[in-house]
Amino acid sequence: MEITNFNVLLAVLILVPVVFGVVAYFSPWDKLRSLSIVLCSVIVAAAGILITIEPNNTFELPGSEMIATILEVGIVAVILFIAVKIKNWLIILMSLVQMGVIIAEIILANAGHTVAHTYDFATDPLTKILILITSIVGPIIAVYAIGYMKSHQEHAPPTAASLGQFFFFFIAFLGFMNGLVMANNLKWFSFFWEATTLCSYMLIGQDGGESKKNAERALLINTFGGTAMVIGVLWLVVENKTESFEGLLLAKAVIPMVLLCVAAFTKSALLPFQSWLLGAMIAPTPVSALLHSATMVKAGSYLVLRVTPGFHDSTKVMMVITFIGALTFAGAALLAVTQSNAKRVLAYSTISNLGLVVACAGINTPLAYAAALAIICFHAISKGLLFLCVGRIEQKIGSRDIEDMGGILYRMPVTTSVALIGMMSMLLPPFGMLLSKWMAIEATIRSPLILIFIILGSALTVFFWSKWIGRIQTSSYHPKFNKETMDPAMGFSLITLALGVLLTGVGSMWIFNKFFAPITEQVFKGRTDISDVLWSVFTAAGNFAAVTLFVAVGIAFLAYWLLVWRRFKETDVRLPYLCGENAESTVYTTSAFHNSEGTRSYAFRSMGDKIENSWSSTTYLKNFICEKKATIWLNLIAWVIIIILLGEAHLL
Amino acid sequence: MMDKINWTQWIIIAVSLVAAPFIGALISGLDRKVTARMQGRKGPPVIQPFYDIIKLFSKQPIALHKLQILYAFLHLVFMMLVVVLLAMGQDLLMILFAHAFSTICLVLGGMSVRSPYSRIGSMRKIMQMLAYEPILILIIVAIYLQTDSFLASSVMDMTKPMLWSMPLLFLAFLCAVAIKLNKSPFDVSTSHHAHQELIKGITVEYAGPYLGIIEIAHFYETAILFFIIMVFWQTNLYIGFGLETLAFVAILILDNTFSRLTTTWMLKYMWSIPLFLSIANIIWLWSK
Repeated sequence: MEITNFNVLLAVLILVPVVFGVVAYFSPWDKLRSLSIVLCSVIVAAAGILITIEPNNTFELPGSEMIATILEVGIVAVILFIAVKIKNWLIILMSLVQMGVIIAEIILANAGHTVAHTYDFATDPLTKILILITSIVGPIIAVYAIGYMKSHQEHAPPTAASLGQFFFFFIAFLGFMNGLVMANNLKWFSFFWEATTLCSYMLIGQDGGESKKNAERALLINTFGGTAMVIGVLWLVVENKTESFEGLLLAKAVIPMVLLCVAAFTKSALLPFQSWLLGAMIAPTPVSALLHSATMVKAGSYLVLRVTPGFHDSTKVMMVITFIGALTFAGAALLAVTQSNAKRVLAYSTISNLGLVVACAGINTPLAYAAALAIICFHAISKGLLFLCVGRIEQKIGSRDIEDMGGILYRMPVTTSVALIGMMSMLLPPFGMLLSKWMAIEATIRSPLILIFIILGSALTVFFWSKWIGRIQTSSYHPKFNKETMDPAMGFSLITLALGVLLTGVGSMWIFNKFFAPITEQVFKGRTDISDVLWSVFTAAGNFAAVTLFVAVGIAFLAYWLLVWRRFKETDVRLPYLCGENAESTVYTTSAFHNSEGTRSYAFRSMGDKIENSWSSTTYLKNFICEKKATIWLNLIAWVIIIILLGEAHLL
Repeated sequence: MMDKINWTQWIIIAVSLVAAPFIGALISGLDRKVTARMQGRKGPPVIQPFYDIIKLFSKQPIALHKLQILYAFLHLVFMMLVVVLLAMGQDLLMILFAHAFSTICLVLGGMSVRSPYSRIGSMRKIMQMLAYEPILILIIVAIYLQTDSFLASSVMDMTKPMLWSMPLLFLAFLCAVAIKLNKSPFDVSTSHHAHQELIKGITVEYAGPYLGIIEIAHFYETAILFFIIMVFWQTNLYIGFGLETLAFVAILILDNTFSRLTTTWMLKYMWSIPLFLSIANIIWLWSK
């Protein structure tokens, strides 16, 4: 084995987080722990960027087969141990099945059943995109976590695990995720897959008590996916004598592909597996940010994008996969509308977007593939940012209810502005999410049923985001904003990610033409089933004059600045009309006026000088949809589709 | 792309940008006149909207805070962008998004102030969007299914009037227009009829020139909507104009025979009959 740049970077990306994690675990001083996290973040980010610049490459580890098997046995044993400790029979059973499958593979190998020789690790454009997300967004969240956990630990329940343990799993997660996206050998892939499951279990249960229950749920669902995966791999080994992604795509083995997709659905928390991601909201906010943007759920969408392009011949299977994605997209958006808990809204929005990625992967045309790539990228940055903002807002106002967030624009202008940027980037032009949604709609145009779901889902998405944006920017007139003090680590992360959102937003069309389009062309090159019309739609999307959007925004801001901002006088300010005299002071500088900011109600003088309070809530369509009932129905439909999917693959 | 725009196109863009608000204002004036006659009143002169705008801009600029006004500007500019993109024959879906963004700005402006009335109006405006947006997207889908292109310019390549192939979508679109123009029974976010709107809803906290800006944006929107109705008979402008007149009268009759109904009713109605009509139309086109 010779040592090349590529090998070193590969090792750095996987091992450095684990090593620094160990340092963080054993460090007796907070300073040293923070230092190791920051150092690890810098190294991983640098390595991530460097490996993207390097040409695509492959890597083989001597004795890889044995090392991977040992690691896999180890990680399954750990999960089995945890399952025995928490006495969850289902997890015990599934871990035993996994163990059995691994042993079966060992026996097969000893009995002379050879598999085709392949690379253990490889990079290609899709891998590189995922590495960039993991090794740039991930470390930014880790740095934020330093500041967040400082004040979190002060209020944490006595059952909470130590900070050392938290940060070990937090940054080791990044290493496992990097390994997962680079693995070509499915043995290695399964190991990293289970490792991320384990990390998420430990992180979700960080605070002990009730969070343990939710962590158990996450472990259960993800072990289910893991079991589907190892069975799929075994099938591939026995039937097709191969155990790599390359071999899977060459052999066009439908059954392993479907099993891998089911595993991906559990990790991406698609319907009907969404409950673990919602329960995971109980963890400290940086964990949610990590699970939603840089790691975990992205692993699922990565897997789907990795395997589906080779299976355009199995139209029916693809159609069912598309349908699960589309159902999740619309269903999760519908459920998000009914939520007033900020974190749950974010969770449903993530699930919804992952559904769209899977739907796009299932459609399997150039435009859909490019849209899926775009959603993964833009979503990672925006969602990471939003979680960090919500975490900070929650620590400050002591509530995660959207209705309590009125007036924060004045109290914490920086965080709120950053949050506004993040939210607007989820639905407004010219940000990337809108562009990807636009491409997704254009890509689904030939399948009306899917299209209806995507259209309804998009409308609902606009609905729940805009009412939230409306709430957090509600404020009274203030001549000057509050000064906001922020922990430097948190401030750094918020500002960096916000800049990232703005820059990728401004350059979204450029990024599309420069990166996503060439990657897509490479993936779909030589595919005969892609008609000229599909290619022309793909090219037309890249030709959109996005410049006009910027010109429009620019003109609006310039006119506003010239005509209003500079000339605005305090004497032009009025109080809102409340059907009576306002009980708040009419002088804007008094403390009484400032204190009213953030209170929920509007006070006005009614008859006989009586002060009345009024309150208008945002609509949550509660009389239309009940979250519980809707979830039951959606899950039922989703299970039926999963069963259909297994049936289409001739597994049943 | 931008570099392909030649000078005739620049002229078209400039002319439509200037002409659209005048056409929109005239339609609003006519609307008020005809409505008044239907109610047995004399009604204001047809050019009353122009007087209104002039008066609004001569008033003192009062506001609740600065952010509110930014949204009014964005609302207008993006409505103008819709006109520009249409004149350039750009991607229809993107035009729709620009239009949605413009409406969202109006909503956010209404929500940025601490006023319960404008908040309720804004909430209702979002519900209105939720009600009509799917239908607008389905119209674009129908156009794609016939032309294999999302470009607005491709509509002109169709040899038969659009109305032939998408009659059900046209009916659904009329409902969407009624919502967009805030006509009864869909005028939930803000109503033109004084007897059913005590406080002006979404625009209650805008006054003077800032209200004027929103009014101009509304003129643009009216012009755009009626232009789209005309495009349903794109092969013959005169018949298109006739179609437009018919639609205008139909919407006014609707407006004057119904009173405002609830938001819930509107959402249920729009997501049932017009949406199903549109889907039926799409399936019909798709199976061809």
